[in-house]
Amino acid sequence: MGIVHYLGSMPRTAPLRAFVEEVGDLARFTGRFFREVFRPRYEWEELLRQAFINGYRSLPLVAVTAFIMGLVLTVQSRPTLERFGAESMLPLMVAISVVREIGPVITALICAGKIGSSIGAELGSMKVTEQIDAMEVSGTNPFKYLVVTRVVSTTLMLPVLVVFADAIAIWASYIGVNIKGSVSWPLFYQQVFDSLVFSDFLPAFIKSFFFGFAIGIVGCYKGFNTKKGTEGVGQASHSSVVVASLLIFILDLIAVQVTDILGYN
Amino acid sequence: MEPSAHISPAQSAISDEVVVRIRGLHKAFGSNHVLRGFDVDLHRGENVMVLGKSGSGKSVLIKCIIGLLPTDAGTIEVLGHDILALRHEALDRMRVRIGFLFQSNALYDSMTVRENLEFPMRRHLSELSADERMDRVVTALTDVGLAHTMDLMPSELSGGMRKRVGLARTLIMRPEIVLYDEPTTGLDPITSREIVELILDLQREYGTSSILISHDLNVAKLAANRVIVLHEGRAHAQGTYDELMRSTDPVVRRFFDSL
Repeated sequence: MGIVHYLGSMPRTAPLRAFVEEVGDLARFTGRFFREVFRPRYEWEELLRQAFINGYRSLPLVAVTAFIMGLVLTVQSRPTLERFGAESMLPLMVAISVVREIGPVITALICAGKIGSSIGAELGSMKVTEQIDAMEVSGTNPFKYLVVTRVVSTTLMLPVLVVFADAIAIWASYIGVNIKGSVSWPLFYQQVFDSLVFSDFLPAFIKSFFFGFAIGIVGCYKGFNTKKGTEGVGQASHSSVVVASLLIFILDLIAVQVTDILGYN
Repeated sequence: MEPSAHISPAQSAISDEVVVRIRGLHKAFGSNHVLRGFDVDLHRGENVMVLGKSGSGKSVLIKCIIGLLPTDAGTIEVLGHDILALRHEALDRMRVRIGFLFQSNALYDSMTVRENLEFPMRRHLSELSADERMDRVVTALTDVGLAHTMDLMPSELSGGMRKRVGLARTLIMRPEIVLYDEPTTGLDPITSREIVELILDLQREYGTSSILISHDLNVAKLAANRVIVLHEGRAHAQGTYDELMRSTDPVVRRFFDSL
């Protein structure tokens, strides 16, 4: 109670109070999502459209990023491993790094930039031009139609994009290994999959759902609560990226701790 | 903009049935009390215009009627239902019976004109086939003289055309009540007059009852059966345009003396 009174006595513009209020509003928004997501009517058509936009249309960007990530990681790691005479460990090291950590986090950050900003700007623009109100007065629940579909689509699509990015990065690593060496694809493939176990993949796959959820819910929250006209749309877009990126790192930290406690490390 | 003889709201279609009844409506934003006990009855077939200066709470009033804004006190009865007591699906079903034309038109800018008009039908008239939906779209766009814009995006339309498409989208669900938020604001006098003519034509065709929000006296003169002057959050005066024109009340005079 003491903290609540202390915060309540602060001016409305005080940064700490504004931060706590923002966190509270986001928590309420998330709570509403969970209430609405299971209640009919289900917006299947819009969900599929959003899955196409947020998933399929992100493939080229994710592919390019994953390719560069796999190639650079391999090329940069080679000198260190050479120093220890452990060049043969290169596929193993890259595969574990990509699958356990770099693949999910880099893909999530790229998607926070692409999908999060796009959701924030789109919903923000709809908010300030009264399109969300128009949807509501036409007898359509805009939260279900706009928010639930986008959050569910990012939650489901991000793990798919992560698996895709992992595959591209490992393939790029094969190219990286062959820049200064000569390893056949079957041998490389065998080394990678001999080194990986299911417990490397599963925690990373699970945390990808949380990353996708964070990107969707933050983008929708910022867009849905846009104020101050076009300036607000810009703020919604950029703060969607910043907050979602920060949340991805926090969730990653929590995931590492949980994975450690469960004995998957 | 002088009205021609044939432009006037239909009087004969007005019945005794009250479709919107508002009593003691209060709404405040912080310390700004915009509505302080507003009362109004809208009869079936009637066009009521709420006249007030900018910031007097006109738009707030119709947003309360359709449940976009919560009220602080008072009752709003629409088509026999207490709108403030309706929740979720029941409120959505009621909203389908009420049309709302936004001042900004609020067309969905990521959809074509046809998709804008189809959107409410896809959701609430799912029993219609694609051909039947298309027929309705063509009819609605023909009614507003814009059948050729079907595949255009809202950004490709002029302000007047956007208003007409907004009107078509509002009326495509055949609402019993239509709420117009500043229907002529931002339009040139000729387009304003065309929009008013269109509102009256559509009122006759579909038999709608309307609440028009505006500070444009030409709209009051041409489209309203009854005009209510909103002042300090209350219905300060009401009557026909001609009755108010003759009023000696200083608040009413301030509007008419500005003509």
